[in-house]
Amino acid sequence: MGAIHVSGLEKSYGAVDAVDGMEFTVERGELYGFLGPNGAGKTTTIRVLTGQIEPDSGEVSVLETDPTTDPIETRRRVGILPEQESPPSFLTPREYLEFVGEVRDLDAERVAERTDRWAERLGFESKLDTLHTDLSRGQQQKVMIAQAFLHEPDVVFIDEPLANLDPLVQEQVKRFLVSYAAGDNAVFVSTHNIDVAEEICTRVGIVANGQLVTEQSVADDGADESLLEVFLDRVEGEDARDTPTLEQLDT
Amino acid sequence: MTGETTDPTAPTSPNRSGSGLSTRRLLAILFREEWRMHTELFGGWRFALFPFVIAALAVGGSVALVETGTAPGTVVVGLHVLAAGFGLYSGTAGFAGSDMLENVFGRLSLLLSSSTTLPLSRRRLLGVFLLKDALFYGVAFVLPMALGGAVAEGLSATTPLSVALFWGSLFLVFAVGMTTTVAAIAIRTRGAPPWSIGLAIGLAAVGSWALEAGAVLRRVLVPIEGTAIGAGGLAAATLVVAAGSLLLYDPTYGRPSRTATDRFARLSAALPVADSPLVTKSLLDLARSSGGVWKPFVSSTILLALVAALVGVVDSITGVAPAPGIFFGGVLGLSAFTTYNWLTQFDSLEAYLAYPVSIADVFRAKRTAFILVGAPTAAVPYLAAVVWFDTTPLDAVVGAILLAGYALYYYGLTVFIAGFDPNEFLFDAVRFATFTVGVAVALVPTLVAGFVVVPPSVELAAVLVLGGLVMGAVGIVLSSRAGPRWDARYRTE
Repeated sequence: MGAIHVSGLEKSYGAVDAVDGMEFTVERGELYGFLGPNGAGKTTTIRVLTGQIEPDSGEVSVLETDPTTDPIETRRRVGILPEQESPPSFLTPREYLEFVGEVRDLDAERVAERTDRWAERLGFESKLDTLHTDLSRGQQQKVMIAQAFLHEPDVVFIDEPLANLDPLVQEQVKRFLVSYAAGDNAVFVSTHNIDVAEEICTRVGIVANGQLVTEQSVADDGADESLLEVFLDRVEGEDARDTPTLEQLDT
Repeated sequence: MTGETTDPTAPTSPNRSGSGLSTRRLLAILFREEWRMHTELFGGWRFALFPFVIAALAVGGSVALVETGTAPGTVVVGLHVLAAGFGLYSGTAGFAGSDMLENVFGRLSLLLSSSTTLPLSRRRLLGVFLLKDALFYGVAFVLPMALGGAVAEGLSATTPLSVALFWGSLFLVFAVGMTTTVAAIAIRTRGAPPWSIGLAIGLAAVGSWALEAGAVLRRVLVPIEGTAIGAGGLAAATLVVAAGSLLLYDPTYGRPSRTATDRFARLSAALPVADSPLVTKSLLDLARSSGGVWKPFVSSTILLALVAALVGVVDSITGVAPAPGIFFGGVLGLSAFTTYNWLTQFDSLEAYLAYPVSIADVFRAKRTAFILVGAPTAAVPYLAAVVWFDTTPLDAVVGAILLAGYALYYYGLTVFIAGFDPNEFLFDAVRFATFTVGVAVALVPTLVAGFVVVPPSVELAAVLVLGGLVMGAVGIVLSSRAGPRWDARYRTE
């Protein structure tokens, strides 16, 4: 069984089928891109995989835990960078990472050492003692990235990893994600950004209307179609290729 | 081609002032957003019913007070105090100077933040926003309150006219309250430190008390008891201060980034409780948000002042003074609601779902934080009341037990019904009515007992102590069940 396994997953909100028979597997060592337009079911899938909500039906497992029946154990083993903005915390980044470290039962010295390392890597050393609520969105995103990796999990779920980051930090984060996945971990990235998915992912699953419509290995240099072309074909059909609209791209 | 060029970013450009959108149109859009926000959050009919719940409470409360001997004039004054207090609270909603607005309202109101992306003057947008709030709450909240005042003075053929006049009177003091807050925030944006504003308010209150200006204030702030000229003067003064405040308000005001010494690890280690990191986060969020740890104290002190004034008024009219321990113990337990509200003001349950903690863990931690903050918050005003009113030892002990038990009960009730969003009570008719009934079940018999048997007999004291302990136990059960209840709701949404 892979690091992440999803079979026949269904989840609806009232009359809306958010996820409708999702199937895929992600292995260790993969940086898996979950690509799709707004409302395709990406965030709902991540919320099920991290035990935040229960599915209507289907099987899911993450690192051989069942997030439906044991969500705490799943969340203990994985890292999560949620889609929604972090709440307005009045902790400083240093204190917030101490909080995450304590909640995850990490040794305080190790947390301090990793905090310094992440602050240096993402360039928020000078903001370590500034209240989180007073940081810019970009700085807040950096802190949230740090918390997702603080316990060096085997699997990380990331919703839009590069949101609000400046180009230099984006490059650093992209390189880090690639190297992290290569270290026998699985990184699951949900994104709208086709270029980013094409650049860093080893494999991409394209989602539309709550279903996985196709998967493509990005490393396949001999592919006839670009990822953008595949996306437009599978999401809206051939017609969309000629006249891509903002609604379709949504990047 | 005329060769003229315009710079759309120039401050003098007409496009930047938002003159393309009429005030009437802007007001209509803001009204629509307000309505949709409430109906989306609470469900249309649950919000639409809310004014009827307010009306029922106002009428029911007024009738009960008058029937039990309270002078109609006292009820009228009480309703005006409530309207002014609600106005003071509502005034914070239009300005981005407070944490609450930046962090809570900012996420809800697209239009409020649109001055940063659209050619709309922020000062004008805020002015219209406040006008919308005044009209919206004036109809949804203040109008139903007016029914209570009209009933207190007795029904007759002219009751509709009485309701209209009463509404005008209440709306005027509501506007005074809003304007006062707006003026304070406008002064703050010009660099005045918060302590100086607080000092000025405190000095004004002390001065009024020292000069025995209560009668004068009553004539001014209860317009329906005064002359038309007086009411007109108050309305004109309110308009002038409101307009002046908007002119004074600095839309570019921004608080500098705040830093803090690392206190998390030490505080968390010092707390000998389960879930100490979650508790520590709650405590630090409370202590560092605007108003700091004093917020809950201010809320409970306001409650103390209102109840003390009510006791004084009833005593002066009827000659009957309640047993102060029982009376204050029962009522001050209500500070549990405001304390819990402050503890959840800057928090989101969903955010905790990124960590290996359950929703039940989060609720348990909130209860611990509530006890740590709520105990002194309720105890200090209670002790002040006990000393001030020269309470008998038995009454004081019974009141203390009632205070602890009822505070736990009100807390449990709040958490069970409203989960992590206690302030949403204000707009959800079903939740608000359930909470009100739950409070009344404990409080009304206690207050009646406190008035009837003074000082309390040993038998009554024993019954009340037992009642306090039972209600406290009920509160613990309710708060323990809140975690699983809300966990199930969130996970199966």
